[in-house]
Amino acid sequence: MTCALELDDVSVEVAGRTLLSHVRFRTEPGELVALLGRNGAGKSTLLKVALGLVRTCAGEVRIGGRPVGKLSGRERAARIAWLPQHVLVHEALTAVELVAAARFRFDETRASAIAAARRALSRAGAVELAARVVTSLSGGERQRAALAVLLAQEAPLLLMDEPASHLDPAQQIATYRLIGELWRGGQGIVCVTHDPNLLHHALAGDEPDRVRVVGLEAGSILFEHRFGDPALAGSLSQMFGVRIAKLRCEGTQFFAPLAEEPGAAREHDRR
Amino acid sequence: MSEADRDPGATDGRAVIAALLCLIACGTAPFLGPSVTGDPAAFVFWQLRVPRLLVAMMVGATLSLVGACFQIIFANPLASESTVGTISGAALGALLALLTGVTIGPSGLPVVVLGAFAGALAVTFALTALAAHGRTRTNDVLLAGIALSLGASAISSMLQSLAASNASIAAAQWSLGQLVQVGYRGVLLLLPFTALVLGTLLLRARAFETLVAGEEQAHSQGVDVRSLRVVALGAGALGVGACVAWCGPIPFVGLIVPHVVRRLVPARPRSFLPLSTIGGAAFLAVCDTAARVLFPGREVPVGAITALIGAPTLIWLVVRRHAP
Repeated sequence: MTCALELDDVSVEVAGRTLLSHVRFRTEPGELVALLGRNGAGKSTLLKVALGLVRTCAGEVRIGGRPVGKLSGRERAARIAWLPQHVLVHEALTAVELVAAARFRFDETRASAIAAARRALSRAGAVELAARVVTSLSGGERQRAALAVLLAQEAPLLLMDEPASHLDPAQQIATYRLIGELWRGGQGIVCVTHDPNLLHHALAGDEPDRVRVVGLEAGSILFEHRFGDPALAGSLSQMFGVRIAKLRCEGTQFFAPLAEEPGAAREHDRR
Repeated sequence: MSEADRDPGATDGRAVIAALLCLIACGTAPFLGPSVTGDPAAFVFWQLRVPRLLVAMMVGATLSLVGACFQIIFANPLASESTVGTISGAALGALLALLTGVTIGPSGLPVVVLGAFAGALAVTFALTALAAHGRTRTNDVLLAGIALSLGASAISSMLQSLAASNASIAAAQWSLGQLVQVGYRGVLLLLPFTALVLGTLLLRARAFETLVAGEEQAHSQGVDVRSLRVVALGAGALGVGACVAWCGPIPFVGLIVPHVVRRLVPARPRSFLPLSTIGGAAFLAVCDTAARVLFPGREVPVGAITALIGAPTLIWLVVRRHAP
């Protein structure tokens, strides 16, 4: 089953602060979208709105054409899964049990939930963590367990909030390779990140124009580009307020943030 | 990591052994105590000790399971019906009913339960409202619970001292917490409440399991978190209300037992909740037997025994939490 997400003119206000303002955002089934923006731009809020965790004050969120509020919990969980930025586990349970718990939406026996949890752990490269207690895992291990939790839900659309944020370079690359595999396997992915270069590891070779990059600033969509679009560097430097140089290395185009631009610095101070 | 750690059968074995030990403890309880011979023996055994054991098991199971669920819902290992004020609220509600002249009996008990339930519900939802308001830290929930608990207890003491002396003496005896039974009336009166509460909570073990990774994560995995909270807190208030109405406030069961279960059996909510239930039944059965036999010829209120064990446990938990 494939499924698309649509935010139709969505605004969110919490305690008088505007977190999102008139956002129009949609993903096609099986599409890979990278969501970029400064800290506090509303990236995480956008994901939470899509999950029905944050209420909109205007506009409508639809998953597969149906308003998210009209879906039952299990219906929603069958369409869309989420990798939060931070996972705090309160009980000392093992990774395989944490992952098995993510299969709440399935009507199945304990044994088949555990079997599916082991498959998800091995897909996330975390099979050796199965019997470890989650609260004793390192940051990187915990992130891999969290990826397994995401996969165990078997949803056609995955929302990932900085999936590689606490990882060393090798694990960052492994995570983005996995994202690429999932995407080529037909799952739609919306991925929040600060580092567009990581997307190269999700792309196996020459298809950068199949990935869309969306920039978010102060709760509004600032730009939308194909990943291969030459204008992307300019948009990124405008959004982050730093000069972004394009470097070509081993046949791949990378973005390198350089010193702050004088104009952008003033813009930053005025905030 | 040894091979035994990987084998899920090993932890299951420990859980089964723990459950069996609990059942053995319950089974031996009525045989302990001063030996009685002759005609009264059968009466003492079947009309006093066995019904008392059954009530202790039901009350212990209910209080312990409610405590375990509160710990998951409030995401705090120190939460339980005695630390967040549910017991004090129930006691205040029950006391109000008692002092208006209602007696604890087949006709009066539903009224006292209703009073206790209302009190427990009021405190629980006041606390939930505080917890849901803004970004209250989890420790604030406990502080609020302690404040509510102290407030309700203070009103209770005031009411007791102002009331007519004979009603007040009965209430004072009740407020120490005791499980004295003659015959099976109490068993039959408590059974529907206990069955309803245990069933409601245990059937949701799978949803509780998702809550350990946070409410937002549970929501994204398809759990209706708000209705789970309302059902769990409502069932908890009903269970605590029924127990408090019949036996008086018995503190700390819901705090101690889940922690002992966690230590003995690696926590996994799907066995954690059932084991807390069985463990609670055994714990209160043992405490009540101790209350009967410690001082021959005299009886200590069971609430004093659980508090004697519970207070140091709470201190130990707090100290351990703050240890690096």
